[in-house]
Formats: sequence, structure tokens, C-alpha cells
Amino acid sequence: MDIWAAIKNRRSVRKFTDDSVKDEVLKSLVLEAGIWAPSGGNIQAWRFFIITDPKILNRVKLVSPGLLGTPPSIIVICEDLVYELEKGGDLGVKVLSIMDTAMAAQNIMLAAHAAGLATCPIASFHAEAVQRIMGLPAHLCPQLIISVGFPGKNPPAPRRNPNVIWFNSYADE
Amino acid sequence: MQMNEAFEEQIFGLVCYMLTSACNLVNETKSYGPLRLIDSASRLITVLSDSGISPPSLEKIQEKIEQGKLKVMEDDSQFSAFLNDLVLYTVSLIEK
Repeated sequence: MDIWAAIKNRRSVRKFTDDSVKDEVLKSLVLEAGIWAPSGGNIQAWRFFIITDPKILNRVKLVSPGLLGTPPSIIVICEDLVYELEKGGDLGVKVLSIMDTAMAAQNIMLAAHAAGLATCPIASFHAEAVQRIMGLPAHLCPQLIISVGFPGKNPPAPRRNPNVIWFNSYADE
Repeated sequence: MQMNEAFEEQIFGLVCYMLTSACNLVNETKSYGPLRLIDSASRLITVLSDSGISPPSLEKIQEKIEQGKLKVMEDDSQFSAFLNDLVLYTVSLIEK
């Protein structure tokens, strides 16, 4: 798929079919797309947890109001706080790792779209509750959830504001 | 009254959704507040419906909610207008 088509046609999908996504496909979204994103200082403190077990997924859903629809799988992107602090310091923990997660997530969502899958990035969840449900140690902090499945319904493209660009200097118009 | 397991599970899910929403909404996008409220209403109607309580008025309200709730992702003014229409529609059901 053409990169421009992937960027412009990807949607945040909140209705999925019941079809499950193969483990190999989910794995490739992370290993062939997610971890190829840039990261601050090349630290790569991201950790990816793929959840396909309906029991665990439902429990995560209980504390994730932003997780709408019934996706057959989710990818929980976490930050390894200890590793990030050691390599990137405070800036790494507070700023860079969040950017890294976002860039990895976009790679995953574009790759998923190119593979005919639908995704939605979700920040509306209770991180500590998700951590407990998934049995994660305290230093692995969930930053973003991506739901992954086959599209039940693609929403229309939301309006875009093109008036957000300046060349060389800012000038009031 | 004895609750069956499925009903209990659904109600528990709804309560979890509402509590987590309340906690997260303190720091979330303003328009997510009304979204979570109408989504809670829709989920409650589903729970009731699955338990055999499905008056047509509630089904109609849920249909409206599901048709319009994701306008929140598209346009603030459209979402506000949708919420207003939803209330007026509900009032029209009261008047019947």
C-alpha cells in the first residue's frame, strides 16, 4: 500500500467483526513495524504486550472506558521506567518515552491498516488497574492501548484543520 | 430478588466502566464527560434488555445514542447539537 494512502485512509475504528487476528500477524505488527519507529536516544524502552485471551481482555476492558467495541485483540504498549530512567534520565521518563510510544503506535496502526486490519489508539484507561490485571511489575507502565481487529465499520474522516503550518517564522495574519 | 450470573457480570462491568470513567475524566478531554454518560445510559439499556426489560422507548433512545455518540470524535458543535436533540427526543417520549 502506498504510504500516502495508508496515512490518509487509516481510521480509528470502534466496531470490529468477531474474526480473530492471527498471532503471527500481531507479532509482525510489533516486530516489523512498532520497533522500527525512532526512539529518543535510541533507548527503545517500550515493551509490547499482546492480549488475545478473552478473559484477560475483558478484564482490561472493565477499566478502560476508551476501549469501545469488542476487538479480538489489543496491544498494550508499556514503558520500562527503570530502563528509561537509567538510559534517558528524567527527560526520558517524562517526555521521550511518551513520544516513542506514540511513534511506535503510529507505525503499528499504519502497518495494520495496510494489512487490512482496523485499529484504535486508546489512552482512556486506568494505568495502575491495567498493570494489576496484567500482573505487570511496577516498573512497566502502560502508556497506550491499541485495539486490533477486522473493521466492522469504518468511520468517516474527521475534519482536518490545514491552518497549522508556517515557514521560517510565525506571523499573525 | 436473585440475580443471575450473567446479569451480575454485566452490572459489574457497567459499574467498573462508570467508576473508571469518573476517575479518568478528571484529566481527560472535556467532551468525554457527556460521551461517557450517554454511553453508560446505552450500556444500562443493553443490560436491561438482555434481562428481558426492553420498553420501546429505551430501545429508541439507545438507537439514537449509538447513531450519534461518536460525533464527539468528529465535531464539537455537531456533538452538542446531537446531545440537545437526544434530550428533546427523550422529552417527546415523555409527552406521549
